[in-house]
Amino acid sequence: MSAPAPAARLTDQARAVVGNAQRLYATGGPDPATDWARAVLHDARSRLDEPLRVALAGTLKAGKSTLLNALVGERVAATDAGECTRLVTWYRDAPSPAVLREDTDGRRGPVPFVQDREGLRIDLRGVDPARVGRLLVDWPSRGLAETTLVDTPGLDSIRETNSRRTLAFVTPDDRPSGADAVVYLMRHAHRNDVGFLEAFADLARGGAGGLGAVGASGTVVVLSRADEIGGGGLDAVTTAGRVAEAYRDDPALRPLCQTVVAVDGLLAESARTLRQAEFTTLQALARAPRAEVDALLLSADRFCAADPPAVVAEALASDPDGTRLDAPARRALMDRFGVFGIRSATTVLRRGARTGRGVTDSVSLAEELVKRSGLEELRDVLGSRVVGRRDVHKARSALLAVEMVLARAPRPDSGGVAAELERVLTGAHEFTEQRLLAALRQGQVTMPAETQPEAERLLGGDGPDPHARLGVAPGEDVRAATLEALDRWRTRAESPLTSRAAAEVARAVVRSCEGALR
Amino acid sequence: MSTKNLGDLVNTARQAAKAYERPDLESRLAVVARTVADDRARVLVVGEFKAGKTELVNAILGGRALPTDAHKATTVPTVCVHGEQRSVTLVRAVEGGQEQQQISPTQLADHVTEKGNPDNAAGWSHAEASLPIEELQGLRLVDTPGAGGLASPASVSTMAEMPGSDGVLLVCDAGRELTAPELALVRTAAAVCPTVAVVLTRADLHPQWRRIAEIDRSHLDRAGDRLRAVPVLTTSSALALHGAENDEASLVTESGVVEVRRLLREDVVGGRHARRTRMAADEVLVVCEQLAARFRAERDALADPARAQRISDELERSTARVAALRDRAARWQQTLNDGTQDLVSDIEYDLRDRLRTVTTDAEAALDDTDPAKTWEQFAPWLHQQVSAAVSTNVVWAEERTRWLAERVATHFAEDGEGVLPPMTSPEGQPMSADPVGLLAAPDHEKFGFSQSMLIGMRGSYGGLLMIGMMTTLAGLALINPFSIGAGLLLGSKTLIDERKRALRRRQAEAKQAVRRHVDDVIFQAGKNSRDMLREVQRTLRDHFTSTAEQLERSLNATSQAAKAVEADGAKRTARLADVEAELERIESLAARARTVRESVGPARLVGA
Repeated sequence: MSAPAPAARLTDQARAVVGNAQRLYATGGPDPATDWARAVLHDARSRLDEPLRVALAGTLKAGKSTLLNALVGERVAATDAGECTRLVTWYRDAPSPAVLREDTDGRRGPVPFVQDREGLRIDLRGVDPARVGRLLVDWPSRGLAETTLVDTPGLDSIRETNSRRTLAFVTPDDRPSGADAVVYLMRHAHRNDVGFLEAFADLARGGAGGLGAVGASGTVVVLSRADEIGGGGLDAVTTAGRVAEAYRDDPALRPLCQTVVAVDGLLAESARTLRQAEFTTLQALARAPRAEVDALLLSADRFCAADPPAVVAEALASDPDGTRLDAPARRALMDRFGVFGIRSATTVLRRGARTGRGVTDSVSLAEELVKRSGLEELRDVLGSRVVGRRDVHKARSALLAVEMVLARAPRPDSGGVAAELERVLTGAHEFTEQRLLAALRQGQVTMPAETQPEAERLLGGDGPDPHARLGVAPGEDVRAATLEALDRWRTRAESPLTSRAAAEVARAVVRSCEGALR
Repeated sequence: MSTKNLGDLVNTARQAAKAYERPDLESRLAVVARTVADDRARVLVVGEFKAGKTELVNAILGGRALPTDAHKATTVPTVCVHGEQRSVTLVRAVEGGQEQQQISPTQLADHVTEKGNPDNAAGWSHAEASLPIEELQGLRLVDTPGAGGLASPASVSTMAEMPGSDGVLLVCDAGRELTAPELALVRTAAAVCPTVAVVLTRADLHPQWRRIAEIDRSHLDRAGDRLRAVPVLTTSSALALHGAENDEASLVTESGVVEVRRLLREDVVGGRHARRTRMAADEVLVVCEQLAARFRAERDALADPARAQRISDELERSTARVAALRDRAARWQQTLNDGTQDLVSDIEYDLRDRLRTVTTDAEAALDDTDPAKTWEQFAPWLHQQVSAAVSTNVVWAEERTRWLAERVATHFAEDGEGVLPPMTSPEGQPMSADPVGLLAAPDHEKFGFSQSMLIGMRGSYGGLLMIGMMTTLAGLALINPFSIGAGLLLGSKTLIDERKRALRRRQAEAKQAVRRHVDDVIFQAGKNSRDMLREVQRTLRDHFTSTAEQLERSLNATSQAAKAVEADGAKRTARLADVEAELERIESLAARARTVRESVGPARLVGA
């Protein structure tokens, strides 16, 4: 990014505030409150130097582990048809693979594991899961270099303890959230989903100086299992994309998240881990007569049937390469790709074979499927809006910790730290931007209808990148557009006809424009 | 056993009652005849929103009769019934009655989904689609708005519809196991409906559906005895519709929809019919017994004139005991009166308690925002919360009421022991001493209380939402023009204090609107549940009192018959032959009733 300087300053400021708080609480007797404060501050301090923590949360079977694998590009998190993830599991980049178990009392110990085709099989060796606080998976992967991904048990589970673990991690009562940002998966926006997002964003504290509103800027909502929303047809993910678009404008969701994107997690995962054997099988399927394959794809059961209709069996058996498309092979393909995935893959392979261009080998197939799954868009959004703002999110977590410590373990001599915290909170333009964005989206501040969308964009509502702010295509002249916007918004900020609140927004927009010029 | 045959049986019994000059028994059978004539079973299709409920209804009907969309959810319940002509009627409650509007079936999507009627802003209580589809014979299939959607605040009202329904299909996705809210829904349904099934949809997209079905099965088995009987069916609406459109019967079979149709036909419609048949046959048997008693006494007296006086004395003692049953101080009467009073206060307390929580939450929410800007989101949320509270209260009230009715029936039967006709049903349970059977078998329509309660509740429910809407609108009117005016005014003056004061005023006004609304709901719903319970009380009292009266009359007639024995030997022999013939006639009617009853098998209790 062109202007990393102010954000870097923000983490430095946060580091200083946490450091001072730590020095303050280092004194004083060992009582429970002080001990708690020390632990919280210690965690806050070390978090600032670690990669951004992104939690994947959502309802039961929303596809959290599957999406995690897709983002990492490897099958690490185990997945299953039934409820599978029962513990909060951290995936961190490390030089060598290892799995650690951290018990609720803070003790840690290594845990044996094996990796198979389904992901990591972690053997707790009969330890009662209730005793385990979390699992830490060290995994050498480029996909984890910038962010630590945290897989969580599904909400709304019949086994309530599982859901409670997620709530205790993302929205705990006695410490700041364990996550700096949240990728929230859902099938359709349910009221419970909104409730969870509200708890994380903590909009109640969105008033002046509060950091609540900033939380919403670290939330990305994913319509997972996008293939099912559209009924598994070839245009399923496109249909789901339109649904996501509608949710983006939904007044209930808008203030709570950065954006909403549709992803077919299963296809994304399988595409990113596509095996040569699967490619050959798909190719053979694409060579078989289309009508027969379509009939086979009417349902997962038909596709996996041990004895498909005679015509289909014949077509499949007469493959020139002699690729076997027997029931187990088809079953494996269905489990990995789903109806939509197989439909998409055979369609693009057929087109590739016909024209000799486009998708002809496994690499290009994987690329095309990743694109079709919607993962590309999610990675863009995460890259620009979440990881791109990592310093804001990390600073937020650290400052929230200090705020909480000052409120819950008050000391007579904490005035200095409190004042410093206040100064950072009100002074940091990044926070102001997020606060005003949230206020605009919640309707606490209203602007003339024709200027509000531009204000939101310039404040970074579509991403912090100057191109995104100015709404110009990459490569176009940002500077000219910025100068033009700066001029207009300055006039607006100074006009006596502008309302007080709108003028505040206009002034912030001017500052954002100035920042983009640097 | 068709409805017509059943009707014939009841009508024959009515004629007999008339012929033997027992108008009281005749009117009792008239109620039964009316109940038997209404033979459509109500089935609710419920589930989380966007679970594929409408798709499933379409698949059951074998064609795209109702509108579906990937994003726009159903917002108005649609009742599908059989009719010669395709037609759609929209219904909403208005002050003092109902408003109906005929629309073209092609416009359905504009009225019952988010597309044309977001949040059901038009306020339709339901749409009734009459379709010339064979599968709908004997059914009222209700497609409901899903639970939990952002845009369907009144969706929980479906829960209030559960009591009195003959069947509930809980629709959920074959891609994942039951969630906690879904399991709770099944549990509620199983507590108040005779037939409940979990229907997994979209099996065509999920190769793992068998695993999911197994997991769901085990969840249900673990959740208690009642849920163990709930079947898990798997369907693929897409496959069924594809099959129907391309005339491929094998696809329809494969889709699993056939199983759902079978369940509807056999368990739901068949079950309802069986319950009605048992109820009607029992009633006919009771009447037969009362008619026969008189002739039996006369026969005994005729056969042995010396015993006549003793028989008559015995009968008079019995009459006195039955008369005591009618007395205000009878135990069952006290159970009924005390129970009703307790219920009224319990239910009202429960409602108040639930709504107090809603008010507290609402006020907390209002403290954090500017109502002028958030009212649009807030109002639906409030409706949702309020209707959830009221619905839960209604279902709970229904359960408690049923329990009370059972207790009253038990006490009545116990006190009348030895006097009430000693009858046993074909499966060996004593009938009049089986109050649960009495209640369960006829869907309580025998007492008429369930029906009147539901009608009362449903009417009030729509009415209360309507009233709620109006209060909300009134509140909104207060807030909005004010805020706009204030905005214009303050835009130029920029007085921060004034602005803050305005916000606080708006918050206070909004809170007041909430409290007013909740008060209205408490008043309305409280009054309705009170009225409903009084109605139950009246109905139960009338039912048992008239049963006692009928018995008293029967016993009187019997003792008269025993006393009036002819002294003349020749006449006596002639009369004896007459009496035997009458007894034979009554016995043949009773035999017919017993055959009918046996044809539908033994009774099952609701929820069992």
